[in-house]
Parts: sequence; structure tokens; C-alpha cells
Amino acid sequence: MISSSSKIIAAVEIGTGKVAVLVGEIARGRSLNIIGVGVAPAHGVMKGEVVDYKAACEATHQALETAEKRAGARIEEVWLAQTGGHLDAFYNEASVNVKSADNTVNALDIASVCALAKEKELPAGRSRIHEIRRPFRLDGQAVPDPEHLSGRRLEVGYWIVHGPESKVSDNIHVVGGYHLEVRELVLASLASGSLLTTAEERTQGVLVIDIGKGVTDFVLYRDGHVLVTGTLPVAGDHVTNDLSIGLRVTPAQAEMLKLRQARGTVQTRDKADKVWLNGDASFGDRQFPKLTIETIAAARVIELLEVVRRKLGPAFAPEHCGAGVILTGGTSRLPGIEEAATRVFGLPARRGEAPGWVKEELKDPMFSTVLGVFQFGLRGAHEHALPARRRTGLLSNLTKIFATS
Amino acid sequence: MSPAEEIPAPPPGRSWRDIRQEVSAPAMSRQGLRRQVFAWLKAGTLGLLAAAVGWGGYELVHAWKTDRMALATAVHSEPVREVVLITDGVLTQQWVNGVLALPKAASLMSLELPVLRDKLLAHGQVRVAVLTRNFPDTLVVTLQERTPVARVQASDGDGAPRQLLVAKDGVVYDGLNYDKPMVAGLPWLDGIRLVKSGPGFEAVAGMADVSALLSTVQLQAPHLYREWLIVSLARLAERDEIVVKAQDIPEIIFSRKRDFFKQVAQLDYIIDAARVLPEPTLKSVNLSLDGQVPVQMLRTPDELARTPQPVFTLQPSTQRKGNRDL
Repeated sequence: MISSSSKIIAAVEIGTGKVAVLVGEIARGRSLNIIGVGVAPAHGVMKGEVVDYKAACEATHQALETAEKRAGARIEEVWLAQTGGHLDAFYNEASVNVKSADNTVNALDIASVCALAKEKELPAGRSRIHEIRRPFRLDGQAVPDPEHLSGRRLEVGYWIVHGPESKVSDNIHVVGGYHLEVRELVLASLASGSLLTTAEERTQGVLVIDIGKGVTDFVLYRDGHVLVTGTLPVAGDHVTNDLSIGLRVTPAQAEMLKLRQARGTVQTRDKADKVWLNGDASFGDRQFPKLTIETIAAARVIELLEVVRRKLGPAFAPEHCGAGVILTGGTSRLPGIEEAATRVFGLPARRGEAPGWVKEELKDPMFSTVLGVFQFGLRGAHEHALPARRRTGLLSNLTKIFATS
Repeated sequence: MSPAEEIPAPPPGRSWRDIRQEVSAPAMSRQGLRRQVFAWLKAGTLGLLAAAVGWGGYELVHAWKTDRMALATAVHSEPVREVVLITDGVLTQQWVNGVLALPKAASLMSLELPVLRDKLLAHGQVRVAVLTRNFPDTLVVTLQERTPVARVQASDGDGAPRQLLVAKDGVVYDGLNYDKPMVAGLPWLDGIRLVKSGPGFEAVAGMADVSALLSTVQLQAPHLYREWLIVSLARLAERDEIVVKAQDIPEIIFSRKRDFFKQVAQLDYIIDAARVLPEPTLKSVNLSLDGQVPVQMLRTPDELARTPQPVFTLQPSTQRKGNRDL
């Protein structure tokens, strides 16, 4: 039974390969109870961008309807995962001189430096999606909350994620076509990262790579904060495409071979070791060298991971990434992909595992983004928000006294 | 510091939150349209409901301010079909119906409950009367009745004697439906003057003390109570004395200043002690004095010695009080 104090929220990911919807009951803005799941094969979406509105609507609405039926409740609002090659980001920082005569930082100093850091103008036609704050620095020293501390110079930086308004609005309108409002837009990489990493790992430094069908999202954490996020229009589809060209099979057959035989690293040594295309001795069934399949897939995987490393640029340093690399997304199910990541990044890599509170049926990597949307929306967002201002005054003090008595 | 400096400006450029989310109907899927229609219906229903509640509230306030009677007539729905009596006494449904005398077509809401209650309370036997409307068509009458402590004889204007009952609170009333032997067992009151007050009489003063005495003797010595014929209050106001005439003792004097239990116990002892005498006929027992109990016999031992013994004796106590009812 849905209580009156709870809210029914759907986390939606409109991916290239599938649309995933989770319906959660959020009580008092804190506790989450997943009550419905809906998955539908995606259509009309290419590399995270809607290219066929009708087809994308059909797939998304089917998933929403299934999830609603399973939940037995009406969705009230949507938190939408955002991904795609159209997204971009930049870092901007600002500094202010502390104004008070005794050099004590006050709320106005903090608000001023934050506003200045976010002031950078965007190119025409682009919308801000996230403004992720990095730690404050007071006289060059990182501090979580500078208020009431003494110093002369206060600095802060923001990682600002933005995208073309037309592309972002396409995704929002697909949801709007189901007569639902998007209340939160969460970058897919932040969602996955929020779910699969712990606070300790984020402090140590960790790289999360979400390899989907059409898009690869990544996020690099350092000192507990988001350092870099990114999205590449290269993912599992490219492995399929290479197999299709290299083996001269249809994309559907290539996809089947990828799922059955492809690996992130080459393991087979015997050139004569072959696999059947269908394996049912039907007309047109034929054999392919296993080594060839593995070689093609591994080459593309390595290339993909190297592109990620290049995109990270100087921000990535193995010595500042103590918790290693975490892989997730549908393509991360390729055997041997962890070894490929270890080879490229020079760090231990592993597949991401959903936390213990996640039900067994939702531990599949394809749900990590939608689960992460809930996680980020409930908890992660607050980690990046400005420190809460302390309420002072007689009335609030009295309230505290009565609240604790 | 100027106000412009105090409030940091919002970041330039649009946020995704500025994107208009409404989608035109042609761009919506069938499920989306269905949800939209459902949402409209829901909003419409809620709106209508709110409007109805608001209108009802307005009408109510308006009627209250302008014509309160209209509120009563608005609920003149069901005529009274049943009157339910709940009582702790002996009054009957028939009696209640007769007293209330409700018109046949009277609706429940049109009944003037305070007037009906006064009608019931006009009879002294009713101590408390509560009338409640039990919708849609039932009137519930809850009564608490008085219990008689003694009886008194009064004469009407034409001189015909009439037996009345007196309750603990001194109210004098015509007893209805009481068990006849119970009424016959009540002692008579003497030494009082009934004063007319409206259709009845004023309450008898001092009945609380009489009631305490009678309940004590009834409970502790029922064999003595059975012999008591008359309780006189003639000396109550002046000397705080209650004088009882029993079947075989012409005068027993009680004081309301002393514990009645002790006085009754002393009386019982004296009567027992007198039985061993050759002529156990007591004339007077005065229990009003603390410490001493003067007892007066009908004849002294010398008188007894001079009187020849009868062939047989008739003991008055063999005649039961209940058989001497008027």
C-alpha cells in the first residue's frame, strides 16, 4: 500500500540498446523502495540521441507502462538519466578576497565565489545540466566548509556539464509524451559512479567506466569529489560493427557472436579452434575461427579504453587512482575486459557490483545507471551541494531544545 | 555594501530546467493521452468536489446568518416512528408516550426537546430526563427515577385522603407502578406540613437524615424496620430528634447528631434485654443522649405485681405492618 507521505518516482534511462525504468517509492525524501521494473528494447535512439521521436516514444512509453503496471502505482515524476555524445563539460574556477576585516569567511563570501565560478557563459543553444562543485580552497588549502574560518583568499571550481538544448529537450519531450514531468536530470556517468563506488573509494580516487551499446560514460573521482566526467559515442555497437565487417555477417549475427564468443582480451591460441555461427546445423550455418572473433573484439575494446584514457588527459594519474577502475554497463559483461582495462590504465580493474540493498534481479549491469539515478538523486546530489547554512537565533535554538528533549 | 553586491547573480545561460516540458497532443503517445485525460478528469473531479464543498459551506454560513429556522426545516425529513425508553425505575413506555403526547406526523428535528424534558420532569418520580434524537426516526428517552423513602397522607381540597411518596431529597410525588407490598412496607411520615407549590408540594426538609436512619435500620436490623409504623419529624428542626413509633414501642427517639448505626444497635440490644422481663412492654426509648439510654416501661414492677394476669395475651407485634395499609 502506498502511504500518503511517500512519492512515486521513476528513474528512466533511454539508452541506445534498451530503455530501463525503475519505479521507486520514496518516503519522506529518504528511504527508497523499488516497486516496479520495466525494460523495453530501444528504437529511434542512436548514440544516446533521439533520432526518431515516434519510435523512441513507443519504446520508452512501453517500458514506463510496464513498470507502472508492475508497481501498481501511478508515477508522479521522472528522474531522467542523460547521456550521449552531444554532452560536453568544462572546468571553471573563481576566487575572491575575503571581505571582513578580521579575515573570517562568511556566507556572502561563499555565495560570491560560487556565483563567480558558475558565471562562465555557454555557447549559444546549450543548456547547463550539472554544476559539480569541487572542494573550496582557502589560501590554497582544501577545506570542506570554509565558513567562519580565517583566510585571505577563497577559491572554488565547478565542473560544468552542458549539452545542446535541442538534444536535451528531445529526451525530456519523449518522457513528456507520456504526460510526465522530468524533475531531475542526472548524468549517466554520475549515476553509475554514485551507485558502484563507496565514499572511501572516491576519496582514494577511482575511475568508473559505463560501456553501453552506443555510448561510453566515464567519471573520475579524486579526494571524494568528481574530477572529470565524459561521454564517448563509442561503445559495444562498435565491437558488433567490426565483427560484422570482419566476419562478413549481418549485424544481428555479429551481435550474437559477440555475446557468445567475444572477449576483451585474446585468450585462444589455437588457430584451428572454430565456432559455429548458429550452432543448430541449419541452412547457411558456418564456422568462424574463435581467435579471429577474439582478436577483432579485443582490438576494439582496447581502442575504446584508450580513447577514454586520452579523453581523461592529464587529469588521470594512476598514482591518484588508488581504488582502480570499475567497469559497468552491458558491454562490461565481455569476458576479459577487466584485463584489457588493467593493461590500458595500469590499474587493477573490476566489474562494478551493486550494493547489498539492491535486489538480486536488479544486480545486472544494465540497471546500474537507473539505480544510480535514485542513489544520486537521494544522496549524491547533497554531496555536491553547498554546505548547509547554519540557522541561528533564539527561535531556532528553542526549536532545537524542544526537538531534542 | 549595496543590495546588488549582496545577492550574487544567477549563472548566465539557460539551465535544462528552463526547457519547456509540455508536449502538444499530436506528439503524445496513446498512453500519454490516456494519462492526460485521466489527469484532467482527476483535476476536474477534485475541482468540482472542492467547489461543492465551498458552495455547501457558503450556503450553510449564509443560512445560519439569515434564517436559522431554515436549517431546521432543511432536515425535517423523517417523522418519529419510535420512542425508546431507558430507565432505572418502574415507569413504563406507555406512561412516557402519554406524558410526551407527540403529534403523529411530528418529525424528529421538529421536536422541542427542552419542552419535552420539562414535561417529564414535572412528574416528581422523574429525577433526571435526557432526550436524544437517534436519526433517522427514533427518540430515545433516558430516565433516572426517584426511590421512595417514606409515605405521607394528604388531603385534597375536597377532603379525600391521598397517599403520596417522599424521596430521599424530600420531593413529594404520586408513585406510579411501584410494587404494592413495597409501598405498604414504607413508614408514614408525621410532624410535617405539606406546602402547595404549583401542581405539587414543596420538598420536605430533613428527609436526608430520615433516609439515612431508615436505610441504616433497613440494612442492619430489618426485623426492627418491619415494626416501624410512623416517623415523626416534629422535633427535628428544634431538637434534632427523629421520633419513631413502632408497632410495640410507642416512642423511640433518635438524634441526628449521633451515629445512626450506634443508636440502632443500642435499640436492638434494649429490645432483646426487655424480652427477658416478665412484662416486656416498652413505652419509650430515648437514644438521643450520648452515653445513657433512658427507657420507660408501660408499667413499673410494683404495678405489675398488683395487676392480675390475663388468661391470654395479644401481642401487637404479631400484626404485620404491611397488613395495616390504609
